[in-house]
Amino acid sequence: MSTEVIVPNDLWEEDDEAVITSWLVDDGTSVSEGDMIAELMVAKIQYELLAPASGTLSILKEIDDVVAKGDCVAKIG
Amino acid sequence: MTQVKAKNRKLTIARAMAESIAMEMREDEKVFLMGEDIGELGGVFGNTRGLYTEFGAERVKDTPISETAFIGAAVGAASDGMKPVVELMFVDFFGVCFDAIYNMMAKNTYFAGGEINVPMVLMTSTGGGYSDGGQHSQCLHATFAHLPGMKVVAPSNAYDAKGLMTAAIRDPNPVIFMFHKALQGMGWLGTEKEAIVDVPEEAYEVPLGKAAITREGADVTIVGITSGVHHGLKAARELEAQGVSAEVVDLRSLVPLDRETVIESVKKTGRLIVVDEDYHSYGMTAEIIASVSEVGVPMKAAPQRVAYPDIPIPFTPVMEQWALPSADKIVKAFAKMKETEK
Repeated sequence: MSTEVIVPNDLWEEDDEAVITSWLVDDGTSVSEGDMIAELMVAKIQYELLAPASGTLSILKEIDDVVAKGDCVAKIG
Repeated sequence: MTQVKAKNRKLTIARAMAESIAMEMREDEKVFLMGEDIGELGGVFGNTRGLYTEFGAERVKDTPISETAFIGAAVGAASDGMKPVVELMFVDFFGVCFDAIYNMMAKNTYFAGGEINVPMVLMTSTGGGYSDGGQHSQCLHATFAHLPGMKVVAPSNAYDAKGLMTAAIRDPNPVIFMFHKALQGMGWLGTEKEAIVDVPEEAYEVPLGKAAITREGADVTIVGITSGVHHGLKAARELEAQGVSAEVVDLRSLVPLDRETVIESVKKTGRLIVVDEDYHSYGMTAEIIASVSEVGVPMKAAPQRVAYPDIPIPFTPVMEQWALPSADKIVKAFAKMKETEK
């Protein structure tokens, strides 16, 4: 069973969209719950995206993709 | 700042710089930081994130907007035995602190007969592409490389950024650390994926004064600085589709300049294109071409430079994008060289 990596609703205050500015681990590698795996940028401020579970990361949204709160950007299985 | 813990982790240049500075601050209490918004905010380019929280306001000093004052203070502190790392937020602002840089930082050691070292690092952002106007978008590599007495480095990826920063802080000489905004991984101009690379967790140095061959090739040498390396790598992939094998050299250090690596590469390929986002005339591009020419390396075609036209950087997006170096311009420069060989 895999866990979806969802952009948390409380990561930033407004409802603006964000852009993915980095993936800090490669697709297909293993991550541990709580690891920082990506960075998102909203209006020049960067936010950290943490792994919600341990397992193998499958990236669904790439760097430079625009995402909203609640979007699924990766799966961990 | 949350640490990246995963195995095979990658870092942005911004995070790599912050990690290097933090590690050196833990080892050496003489290392401290000054600059505008480098404290709680972590730097507008993200390269001092986490330092204020770990080391406090005594060692991570947010300054008023007076480069004249805090860069002058850093030169004084360094001349007195401290190891300041200071940030000139945009290199374009150098004018108000150039006496401290040009006449004191670079020369104090010589004026003092070698009895005083000035072990400071001045880190500063370069580059444009996002319509920030002619006073926030320049590279000015040559302006700093020109003056004897300082070392100048300019990384194109996170591995080199961490290693060059560590070497710069440990070096007893003043070092200018020039980082390109588009490569920081901060999303200011989109993100250059190839600047985000694997970075070891332990401390290591990338030697000051050593270029890297980023891609091997046989038909043409493309020498790049920061963004120019990434344009060069993209051009090399386009040229490969045309059956041309391009070698890409990342200069990494402007001073000391690794002429030997460039010369050896051009001896092999016989063709040279130099890519720099700094202005066309009187720049690093000319220095590289002269360095190869004056030792008499035989060349199959006249060397070419792909640099910024000799104009103040336009604010208007279409005009600015027209002026910037690009992979396309490198491919065209190569086509021009081949044309002259017929």
